[in-house]
Amino acid sequence: MLACKQEHFLPPEIFWCRLVISETGKYPTVTKQMYPVLCNHCEEAACVKACPTGATTRREDGIVIVDYDKCAGCRYCLIACPYQQRTFYADGSKEYFPGQGLTELEVIGKELYPLQPGTVLKCNFCAERVDEGSAKGLRPGVDREATPACVNACPSKARTFGDLDDPNSEVSKLIRDRKGFQLHPEFGTEPSIYYLIR
Amino acid sequence: MKPYEWMVKYTPQTEWIERRGILMWLAEVFGGLGAGLYLVALYFNSLGGMLIGWLFIIVFKGGFHLAYLGKPLRFWRILLRPQTSWLARGFIFMGLFIVFGAIQLIFSYWLPGTAGEVVFKVLAATTAFLVAVYTGFVMNYVNGIHLWNSALLPLLFVLTGVLDGFALVMAVALFGGNIDVIAAEAASRILLITTAFLIAIYLWSATYMGPAGRQSVMELIRGSLAPVLWIGVVLCGIIVPVSISVSTYFAGEASYPLLITAILSEMIGAFTLKYSILKAGMYAPLIPTSTY
Repeated sequence: MLACKQEHFLPPEIFWCRLVISETGKYPTVTKQMYPVLCNHCEEAACVKACPTGATTRREDGIVIVDYDKCAGCRYCLIACPYQQRTFYADGSKEYFPGQGLTELEVIGKELYPLQPGTVLKCNFCAERVDEGSAKGLRPGVDREATPACVNACPSKARTFGDLDDPNSEVSKLIRDRKGFQLHPEFGTEPSIYYLIR
Repeated sequence: MKPYEWMVKYTPQTEWIERRGILMWLAEVFGGLGAGLYLVALYFNSLGGMLIGWLFIIVFKGGFHLAYLGKPLRFWRILLRPQTSWLARGFIFMGLFIVFGAIQLIFSYWLPGTAGEVVFKVLAATTAFLVAVYTGFVMNYVNGIHLWNSALLPLLFVLTGVLDGFALVMAVALFGGNIDVIAAEAASRILLITTAFLIAIYLWSATYMGPAGRQSVMELIRGSLAPVLWIGVVLCGIIVPVSISVSTYFAGEASYPLLITAILSEMIGAFTLKYSILKAGMYAPLIPTSTY
C-alpha cells in the first residue's frame, strides 16, 4: 500500500491498493482472512462500459486506465464497479500535515504525477513502469523495472505479475496449479486479479 | 460504517446520495417530475404545464447534474459514448428533449394547430419518455448493487414520473390552468394503486437478486430507512393521496385544501421513493464466503 502511494504520489485519503481484513467464526475456531485488493483490471470491465466520456479504457495488454484529461467526474464508473476500487479525488488542497504546507515530496509529486481534482482515480498497474520497462526490452513481472511497485515491494513475494494470456507464464502456472480464484466471478466482469489460498 | 468494515460487511453506496451526491438525488427526482408533468400536460394540452415540465428538466435536472460533475466544463464529453453508457444516452435524450420541447412550445404558443406543432409534440413526448425511463436503466446497469439491478426499476421510474405528473398538473389547475381535474384524479387513482403494487413487487423481487438485495430490502423495511419508506413513500406517497382520491370519488368534487394536501403528500412520496432506493443500494462484501 505504501509503495503504491509513494510510486504515484497519492494524496491523503486516496488508496489504489488496500487490505481487507475479516474475522469469521467463533472462538476457538476463528479464521482471519486478509485480502489485498486493488483494481481488478477486468476483461469485461463495468467501468469501461459505464464511462460516458471514454476516459476509462482497457489497453491491449489488459490494463484499465483513466485519462484524467477526459474524465468529467460523473462518478458513474465508481458506482458501476462492483469491487469499489475507484476513488473520487475531490479536494486537491489536502496536505499530509494539515496547516504546515506541502512537504518537499508532495511538491515534487504534484509536478511529476499531476492528478486532477474533480476526476476519478484508480490503480493503473503502474502502467508507466510497465511501458518504460517494456520499451527497454525488459519483461513485466520478471524484471523489477517493468513490474508494478506493489509487486516489487512485497517482502514475502505474495504478489506475482505477468501475462495471463501466456500459459507458460508464472502467473498462469500459479493459477493453474494452486486453483486461483477471482473475487465475485458472478458479476461477469472477468477480473484479471486471482487469489491463491495457502 | 467504520473504515475497517468497508467491503467486509454490506457497504452502502454513498457517492450518489451523500454530501454532493444529494445533487444526483435531486436531479433524478426533478427528471421524473419534469418528464411526467410534460407528458401529462401534453395529454391535457396545458401549455403552462408543458412549460413548467420543460423548465424542471433544463433548470433543475440539468443544473443539478452539472453542479454534481467534478469537471462541469467537460459536460459535453458525456455525450460521446452512447454505444455503451446509459449516462451518455440519458444526457443525449435530455439534450434532445430540451431542443424539441423548446420548438414545440414555440409552435404551440405562436403557431398552434400546424403540422410543425404536431411533429414536435411527438418528438418532444418521445424524448420526455426517454428522459423519464433512462435513469432506471442507468441504475439497472449496476450489477454490484442488487437492489438496483432490477428490470422493474425503469418501469417504476416511468410510472412514478407520470403519477407525479398528474399531481403536478392538478397543481397547475389550481392556478387557473385549463385542465380536467376530475379526469386527472381518476387517472391518479388508478396509477397510485398500480404504483403501490409495483413497489411491493419490486422490493419482493429484489430479495431474490442476491444477499445484498435482501439486505437492502431489510434495511428499507426494518432498518434505519424504515421511517423513510413507511412514512414518506407508503403513507405520504400512497395512503394519503389514495384516501383523498377515494373520498372525492364518492363526494363528487375535491375541496381545495384536500387537493393541496394530496399534491403535497405525493411530492413527499416522489422525493422519498428515490431517496430510499438510492440510499438502500448496497455492495456485497468482497471476501468470498466459500473460502471460510
